[in-house]
Amino acid sequence: MRRLALLLLAIALLPAPAGAQFRLDINRLIDSARDIGRASGETDEKQEIQIGREMAATLLGAAPLVANDAMQRYVNSVGRWLASQTERPDLPWSFGVLEAPQLNAFAAPGGFIFVTRGLVERMRSESELAGVLAHEIAHVLQKHHLKAIQKSAQVGLATNVLALAMQDQNSAARDKLIAFGREMYARGLDRSDELEADRLGMVIAARAGYDPWGLPAVLQTLQAMNPQDSGLALMFKTHPAPAERLGALEKAAAPLEPYSAQPQLAERFEKNVRP
Amino acid sequence: MRPLAAGIAALFAALAWAEPASVIRATELKKDPATDAPTVAPLAEDARVEALERKGGWTRVRTDGGAEGWVKMLALRYGGAGESKQGDSGIGQVLNVARTGASGAQTTTGVRGLDAEQLAKARPNPAELKRMEGYAATKDAAAGFAASAALAPRQVAYPKEGG
Repeated sequence: MRRLALLLLAIALLPAPAGAQFRLDINRLIDSARDIGRASGETDEKQEIQIGREMAATLLGAAPLVANDAMQRYVNSVGRWLASQTERPDLPWSFGVLEAPQLNAFAAPGGFIFVTRGLVERMRSESELAGVLAHEIAHVLQKHHLKAIQKSAQVGLATNVLALAMQDQNSAARDKLIAFGREMYARGLDRSDELEADRLGMVIAARAGYDPWGLPAVLQTLQAMNPQDSGLALMFKTHPAPAERLGALEKAAAPLEPYSAQPQLAERFEKNVRP
Repeated sequence: MRPLAAGIAALFAALAWAEPASVIRATELKKDPATDAPTVAPLAEDARVEALERKGGWTRVRTDGGAEGWVKMLALRYGGAGESKQGDSGIGQVLNVARTGASGAQTTTGVRGLDAEQLAKARPNPAELKRMEGYAATKDAAAGFAASAALAPRQVAYPKEGG
């Protein structure tokens, strides 16, 4: 069994010929959410969650959680309520505020969502927090990170790494996965994936009963800042410019007009994040 | 009394801010935050305004001429046309005091937070992940949290691709 694993690992580390096999596995993961009744669906979701846990743990290795229990629970309540309004309400959703002065937010497959303290401090209401969390939730729903892994496989990342990494906690394959996660968060997702997450994020906030314009309000806050601000460097490197994102939202935002008077909840936000 | 006063001050700060902005295209200043509200005045492209308050997709503004009304928030850009935005949050220079790890002990370290360099060096922290998962809310608890602020679920469809 052990020799078989080693053999598979050796094959996995060959870039080209085994690539097709890897793409198949990843395709299965990506397709599984659309095919809930299928027997293998559950296993695939388990694997997706495990990949996400590795990536989430890596992000937490770069910055720990803010030491404020009340704030962390509050963000989890907002996030879990948003996630409940989506097509994947039963993932093990968890949310965290990272102890980092930079302004950013991240997601990992399977339902792990992060926002930095620096970004939370610039927000003015619960609807703004909801907008940012809903954008990240949309990345998980659409499996944007798994698609990024798939794309990297085509340019030579080891094949079958994921399955092996899950079997052997100390494998070289697991290190590869962790390295890939770091690289992905430093490089960012596709521009079109970010714009899609903006559009879906506004709708998810509206579904949860919030003022849907919380996300564009945060984008305007970012747009008003000096683009050379060191706290924005990674965010601006990995996302389209805020002005472009705001422009791209105009068409998608128009049908949300009937939800314009839904609450922003500025007071509850202040009470929970600035006690 | 003091917490109440502080609460009111915080609320005031959250709702009423005045920030210079300009409109990205010719639009109309509306009496109320609605497309069918009466027009107060036309606004030319690049007209300078002060943004005062937001309600849904509408921002209340004051024009250079002193007129007040509502414009579509997505028609606004902040900082003004051609004006360079100055200032820095000072993140690059500051040493932060961070509470780290499961112990929650306060340690003064040279924490730089989450930039590309930190990310490149990151090693998984499974203990911190366990802590995060411990904060997760159940579906029912989150529903109760929403109901306590009168947040009601709505049926809203996703937009079409690119829409």
